[in-house]
Amino acid sequence: MSALTNAAVDILAQAEGLGADDAKAVAGAQGAGMAYGLAAIGPGIGIGYLVGQAVQAMARQPESAGQVQTTMFLGIAFTEALALIGFVVFILLKFV
Amino acid sequence: MLHALANPSVLLAAEEGGGGVEFPPINLIVKWPHAFGEGQWYGFNKIALISLIAMIVPVLLFWLAGRKASLVPKGVQNVMESSIDFVEQQVVLPAIGPDGMRYLPMLISMFFFIWIGNLFEVIPTAHMPANARMANPLMLAIVAWVMFIGVGLKHHKLGYLKEALFPPGVPKALYILVTPIEFLSTFLIRPFSLAVRLFANMLAGHILLVTFSVLTITLVGASLLVIVGGLSFAMLVAFTGFEFMVAFLQAFIFSLLTAVYIGGALHPAH
Amino acid sequence: MLASLLVLAAEEDPAAINPVVPDEIGEIFWGALAFFTLWILMRYWLLPPLMKVREERRAKEIEDLEAAEAARTAAEQVRRDYDTTIAEARTRAAEVLEEARAAAEADRASKVAAAEAEVAAQRQEAMAELEAARAAAIDQMGGDVADLAVTAASKVVDAPLDVASHRGTVQNYVEGNR
Repeated sequence: MSALTNAAVDILAQAEGLGADDAKAVAGAQGAGMAYGLAAIGPGIGIGYLVGQAVQAMARQPESAGQVQTTMFLGIAFTEALALIGFVVFILLKFV
Repeated sequence: MLHALANPSVLLAAEEGGGGVEFPPINLIVKWPHAFGEGQWYGFNKIALISLIAMIVPVLLFWLAGRKASLVPKGVQNVMESSIDFVEQQVVLPAIGPDGMRYLPMLISMFFFIWIGNLFEVIPTAHMPANARMANPLMLAIVAWVMFIGVGLKHHKLGYLKEALFPPGVPKALYILVTPIEFLSTFLIRPFSLAVRLFANMLAGHILLVTFSVLTITLVGASLLVIVGGLSFAMLVAFTGFEFMVAFLQAFIFSLLTAVYIGGALHPAH
Repeated sequence: MLASLLVLAAEEDPAAINPVVPDEIGEIFWGALAFFTLWILMRYWLLPPLMKVREERRAKEIEDLEAAEAARTAAEQVRRDYDTTIAEARTRAAEVLEEARAAAEADRASKVAAAEAEVAAQRQEAMAELEAARAAAIDQMGGDVADLAVTAASKVVDAPLDVASHRGTVQNYVEGNR
């Protein structure tokens, strides 16, 4: 994939007279999009599963809803961190 | 070229002859000019101003509430007391327990400082969350980190480090694997993820709002795409409401996680 | 990772520095100043009065609850006393009623007895008078009849009969036909 992209960028660079910096920017943008897209998959599934289970627990025992909710937010915070690190990598790749 | 099909800005540019969607470079939307002290350690810019406001507003509110504190609360006192109740019931008691009430001042300060700093994301004419810069989240995460390690060392002396690095109930041979992981997760990943969670959430929200604002302005300017511009504006309004909620949620989660870490250091058994 | 971020930051020129890196020392300084000021003010100036009021309110709530409990107990006591008093009064009233009824009954009985006795005495008297009158009448009638019978008999036999000697016979006859 990456080799193909690089080859395509090289060809484009030759064809349209792109500089080395432009080539680097294109590669960075592609890598950034890829990084964030991949990083969002796992946490997306994880948060969905987590909230679903929490809703089930709350429906089953409405009297313990408050505690379930607090624990749910904690779990979301831990799971979401992965996606957010992906987002930071995206910013790093895109804007450095 | 493929880009021309995938990127509407190119189409717009073709139609209007040189216009198009100009997304600002990211440094333009998160970096602000200095009022004074550019390049110095006391450099004062918009973020610093928002930080000061995020300090002054809670101080004013709590001062108004506590100035004539009466047994029957009303007005500001009522609101502030319910915020104390909220932090006590939702953060301190579940995460630390009844002996965590002495950390209430820190957690309340953290909660209000982050929340009001975040709220500037959706306050018109400001539109910049103070926590979308790494400075405040990093500082607060270091405070939380120092707090929970300090609490652990104060209450369990060096036994805290032993508990944290060599968790009981693990076979001796596994310590080769477990100890580095525990060290990384407790002493490095925790503050890092704490800071990044807040920072990245607010920066993402900020970029989202900027994106839809720029899109709305550009599309309303373009004669044919006014209808799409309306849709874009609706998205902007919806995301503003969403970010209003995120601002609160992130402040809550940051103080809750700090409380959880302090609670873990105070009662390492669980 | 932070270290690598800082390395990245050091490599770039200041104008194009990455937004992830906390490059503005001023922001950290003012942020820390604001946060620690807030924390210290909260700890020593802003929260204590509110916490004190909360504590007082909690104490007062407990106090009020206890007072309410005491008042409830007192009310219960009063109710119990009242119940006892009512029960006593009811018993007393029943007793009085019973006494009055007994007295009235006795009175009635004695009056009835007296009246009956009087009636009986009067009847006795009347009977006695009647008896006496009859006895007198019979006596008188017996004498008259004897005289009449003896006279009639002497007329029949044409011989004077001694009235006195036959009076007994007539008397016996009258007595026997009664």
